[in-house]
Amino acid sequence: MKTVFKFKTEFWIPTYTKISATTIYDFRIGLKIIPPNSLLYHFYINIFNYHSVPSIYTNSFAYWFYKNGYYQIGEEISSIDPTDYFDIEKLRQDLIDIISRYQEQDTKTLSEPFLFLSIQRNIFHTNLKATNLEELIDGIKKSSINSIFYHLITSKVDNKKAINDYSEFLNLIGQYNKAELINKIDVYALNLYEIKELILEVLTK
Amino acid sequence: MINLKDYEQFIGKETLIELEIIAKQLKNIRVLHVNSTNKGGGVAEILSRLIPLMNSLGIKTDWKIFKGSYNFFKFTKKLHNLLHLPSDEDIESEEINLYLRTTYENLNEINTEDYDIVFIHDPQPLALIVKKQENQKWIWRCHIDTSTPSPKAWNLIELFINSYDAAIFHMPEFIYKGIKIPTYIIPPSIDPLHPKNISLEEDFIFQTLNKFSVDPEKPILLQVSRFDRLKDPIGVYNAYKLIRKKYDCQLILVGSFAADDPEGEEVYKEVLNQTAEDKNVFILNLPPDSHLEINAFQRAATVVFQKSIREGFGLVVSEAMFKLKPVIGGNTGGIKRQIIDGINGYLVNTYQGAAFRARQLLADKELRLKMGQNAYNIVKHRFLITRHLKDYLTLIYEIIKNKN
Repeated sequence: MKTVFKFKTEFWIPTYTKISATTIYDFRIGLKIIPPNSLLYHFYINIFNYHSVPSIYTNSFAYWFYKNGYYQIGEEISSIDPTDYFDIEKLRQDLIDIISRYQEQDTKTLSEPFLFLSIQRNIFHTNLKATNLEELIDGIKKSSINSIFYHLITSKVDNKKAINDYSEFLNLIGQYNKAELINKIDVYALNLYEIKELILEVLTK
Repeated sequence: MINLKDYEQFIGKETLIELEIIAKQLKNIRVLHVNSTNKGGGVAEILSRLIPLMNSLGIKTDWKIFKGSYNFFKFTKKLHNLLHLPSDEDIESEEINLYLRTTYENLNEINTEDYDIVFIHDPQPLALIVKKQENQKWIWRCHIDTSTPSPKAWNLIELFINSYDAAIFHMPEFIYKGIKIPTYIIPPSIDPLHPKNISLEEDFIFQTLNKFSVDPEKPILLQVSRFDRLKDPIGVYNAYKLIRKKYDCQLILVGSFAADDPEGEEVYKEVLNQTAEDKNVFILNLPPDSHLEINAFQRAATVVFQKSIREGFGLVVSEAMFKLKPVIGGNTGGIKRQIIDGINGYLVNTYQGAAFRARQLLADKELRLKMGQNAYNIVKHRFLITRHLKDYLTLIYEIIKNKN
C-alpha cells in the first residue's frame, strides 16, 4: 500500500479562560487548572505569532515574570523548548516544578496580572496529498504557514509523537537524512515564513 | 468592488485558498451584523470591508443599522464613556427609558429572524437580544475597553450581555471580570487596500508635503491622532523640543476635530498657541476624509509617535507600521499589543523617554530600517483585515459546530 501524506491546516481562535494571576501563588494554581489548550496557546502560539514578546523571551509566561522583575524564573521558563514535548501534561508538570522552587516569593502582589488565555482549534483537510518527495515539495510550496505550523509543531502534541509529520513521512519513503534535518529545525531562530523556505531548501537539495 | 483576490499580494495564494476551505464549511449559514452607523468610526470602516469579503466567499452576510435620536446617541456616548472609565456619574431613569424605547422602535425595523448568526456591535443595539430565537447564535462584539467600568453602566449592560452566546473583545485586558458568557479575542485590523494604506507615488507624497510647506529634506516626526488630551499632543511637542537640541527636524501633529467636539477644538487651539513661534511645527486639522494626505505624511515620516496616555487599540500604530515605520508609542492599551519594545519600535511612559528613543532612531538609519521592516512584517502577519476575516470565519465555525 502506498504511503500517503495528507496535507492539513489549522485555525484557532483565542478565548479568555477567566483565570488570572496577580501573585506567583495564583499563577501556580492557575497552571494546575488551565485547560491543555491554554498551555498550547501560551507556549506554542508565540511560535506562530513570532515577535509577540521580545525575542529573548520565548513565551508569554516567561515574559510576564520578566516584566514583574523575576528575571531568573523568566529565563528558566524561556529556556523550555515546547517542541521538545509531545505530552502537554509533562510540560505542565515541568513548569509547575520550576515555579515551585520560588515559593518564598509566592504572595507578593505583582504589578501586572497574568491573564490565562486558551484556544479553540479546528483542523481542516486541504485537498493536497503526496505519495513521494516531489509531491511533498509541491504540497509544501502550496501550503500556508498555518499548515506548516500544524504539521511541524501542533500535530506532534495532538498525536503525542516525538517527530513532526514531514519527517515521519520522509522516513517512510526512505529519505532519512532529510527527515532528520527537518526535525532539527530550530523554530525559535526563524519565523514560519522562513521555516517554510528552509524546509523547501532541505527537500530540494 | 472589493475582491478577495486583490489581497493575494499581501497574504499569498495559499492563505486565500484556506479562507475558501473554511468558508465552504459555512456555505448555508446566514450572518447579520448590526451596529449604529454605516459612516464614520472604526466599526463602520471595518464592516464596510469585512461584509463584502464574507459575501465574496459565499457566506450570505448582511449589515443593518440600528437607528436612534440625537438624545439616544448622547446617552449611548455617555454609556460608552462610563464603560470605558469609572465615574460617579448617574444613569437616570429617563435615559434607561429612552434606551429601551429606542430598542423597541428598532425591533420592528431590523429583521433578525432570517439569520443563523447575529453579531451585535457595541452597546447601542445590545438590547436587541430580546429578539433572539432558540435556533440562533448571538454574539456581542465589544469595541470598548470595559475592564474598569462604572458599576452603574455595567449593571445596565449586564442585563443583556449574559443572554448572548458569546462576546468578542479586542484584547483580554479589555474584559470585565463580571462577564459570564464565553469570551473570544479578536484584535481589530487595517485594510491594506483602504486609501489610508495604499501605496502612493513619490510625487504625491512630495506634493502633499509641499502643500503644507513641510520640508521634504528634513527629518519628520509625526503623530496622527484626534486633538485629545489622552493622545498627549503637548507631550509630543515637549519631546520634539528635546530632540531639536540635537537634530534639525520638523514635527507634524495631524488630526481632526468635529464641529460638535468642543474639547477637540480647545486642545487644538492650546497646541496651536504653544507651538505658534516654531516654524518647524505643523499643527494640521484636516477634514476626516483626508486619508491620502495622512497616508502621505506617514510615508514621509522619519519617526512616528503615538504617545497616548490611555488608548483603546490604537490602530493608527499599525497603519504607520505597515508603511515600514518604527513607532514610539505610549505604554498603554492596544499599543502594547502592536509595538514590541525594541523590536519594531519603542514603548515609553514619558515625553523624555519618547525624545530619547526618537534620538536613537534619528541617529541610526540601519536601526530605523530594521525596526521598520519588523513593524511591516508583524502587521502583515497579525493586523490585516484578512486575518480578521479568518478569525470571524473560525469563530462562526466554532459556534455552529457547538450548536450542532
